[in-house]
Amino acid sequence: MLGPSATWYLGVAAFLFSTGALGVLLRRNPLVVLLSLEIMLNGANLALIGYARHLGDGAGQIFAIAVMAVAASEVVVGLGLVVAMNRKRITLDVDRLNTLRG
Amino acid sequence: MIQRPHIDWFALAPVNALLAAAAIALLAAVLVPRRARRTTAATVCALGYAVAFGFAIALYVRSAHGHGVVADAIRRDRFAELAQMIVAGAGVLATGISFRERMRDNHVAEYYALLAAAGSGMAFFVAANNLMTLFLGLEWLSISLYILCAIDRDLINGLEAGLKYLIIGGFGSAVLLFGSALVYGETGHLDFAGIASANRPHDALLLFGLAMIISGLGFKASAAPFHMWTPDVYEGAPTPVTAFMAAATKTVALLVLLRVLRTAFPQEAHLWTVAIAVIAVASLTIGNLAALVQRNVKRMLAYSSISHAGFMLIAVAANNALGGRALLYYLIPYAAMSLGSFAVVAARERELGVPVTFENLAGFGWERPLLGISMWTFMLGFAGFPLTGGFVGKFYVFAAAYRQGWTWLVIVGVIATLVSLYYYLGVVRAMFLRRTEDLQLAPIGGSPPRDALLQTAVVGCLVVTVGSFFAVQPLIDLAKHAANALPF
Repeated sequence: MLGPSATWYLGVAAFLFSTGALGVLLRRNPLVVLLSLEIMLNGANLALIGYARHLGDGAGQIFAIAVMAVAASEVVVGLGLVVAMNRKRITLDVDRLNTLRG
Repeated sequence: MIQRPHIDWFALAPVNALLAAAAIALLAAVLVPRRARRTTAATVCALGYAVAFGFAIALYVRSAHGHGVVADAIRRDRFAELAQMIVAGAGVLATGISFRERMRDNHVAEYYALLAAAGSGMAFFVAANNLMTLFLGLEWLSISLYILCAIDRDLINGLEAGLKYLIIGGFGSAVLLFGSALVYGETGHLDFAGIASANRPHDALLLFGLAMIISGLGFKASAAPFHMWTPDVYEGAPTPVTAFMAAATKTVALLVLLRVLRTAFPQEAHLWTVAIAVIAVASLTIGNLAALVQRNVKRMLAYSSISHAGFMLIAVAANNALGGRALLYYLIPYAAMSLGSFAVVAARERELGVPVTFENLAGFGWERPLLGISMWTFMLGFAGFPLTGGFVGKFYVFAAAYRQGWTWLVIVGVIATLVSLYYYLGVVRAMFLRRTEDLQLAPIGGSPPRDALLQTAVVGCLVVTVGSFFAVQPLIDLAKHAANALPF
């Protein structure tokens, strides 16, 4: 069965990536920001997998699997930091994270 | 029988030595009694870096002809080996600087484990020969550094720095990854040589991917306009971590940028040289102007590191063999000066227990002459004075740019150097021309004992900074052989 062409996959991937990027730039809650980072990475993953099928080449799919592992470890560290900050009773608002400025 | 790719374990030795050090230090966190934990972990970490340094030298000697190893995923050549030597040297010194840092001793072994893991990620990253190893190496070193920034959970600034670094670093990596996906899709190759051979010079998506890869690496090299995390993270992270980040992360990010651009995108050189030149000018401008108004020394050094990213990008924009040589040479004294200056800041911070500003540096040069004179030398080196490697480095960078016809870029660089004199000499003035009494500090139990390891590390940095001026020929030869591994 023929699916949509590679361009469509790239379009969806670019949409996911931009959604994530906007989320990172605009949202204030660190949890939502981490979630948006994941969406960005998954957009890139979709592009990799779509291209890999299009090219008939396995390398892109292997890359995507590696990226999933990396994304998981990154979010673990991120969530760890958020929990540690929460225990310190720091407000969860990235705009208020302004002890360091100048 | 299944065909396996041949694995050149020798080429992986520096990476594996550091990985082993990280694993042993992590075991020490549970198995070694609390009293001996700090010493054991630090020794293991320093030994790991020393062994990696030795392996990198051996590999440098035996890799005159660069080639891909492990199914072409990583590259064994003198370019990577010289970079690994810089990283390993920085790691040994950073361990020495870290040893007396005041941190709670319940996570001290993890600290050294992560320091070694970050180094091994860097050693892997500089050898990357395809987009996948590039991304994995980048994340490997970054995730280790995110945790190192926030390792002291009592320090709210550290947590804040770690989270900021993670969010902005993660954003940069995601941009790099999407760029890699575009390049892969347009060329059908992940390895750098394959991307270059696909030869699709006027492909809009490929160029978009290239721009995203440059931005992604720009975040790690803290070049403007991707620099916004740098001052906050450098200020908030524990000072020894900042020292290591400033020296080693910048080195590997710039070298990998040069490798990717030269080996994967030689056909697009007329476009990316301009882009890199623009980024260089932006970094020089923003870094220098913002550094002028800083009162906190760590923030000032962070902006100075942004402006130095600009200087070194001039060498990348030159896009010739001389530029490659200039970059590799310059990184040696630069790494030493960054480590040394942050080490001196760390020493002052431990004496006072408050963030170091220009005001509370008063009289430091007279109290601790060794550290004062070292800091003086590092500042002159950053500004590019003779008798330090910074002079030769800047000279080479400008020569490379001039040869390629980038006269205006050279002029911008010279102006930036003149502006930078103000804040570099400001540190010297604060240390030597202000009296300690002006500080009105209440002495509590006298000054802390001299920290022999930190002083040794600072002296090591001083020797490299000054030595790279006098031993310029051997180092240039070293850099020349390394730069020849790239297809110029």
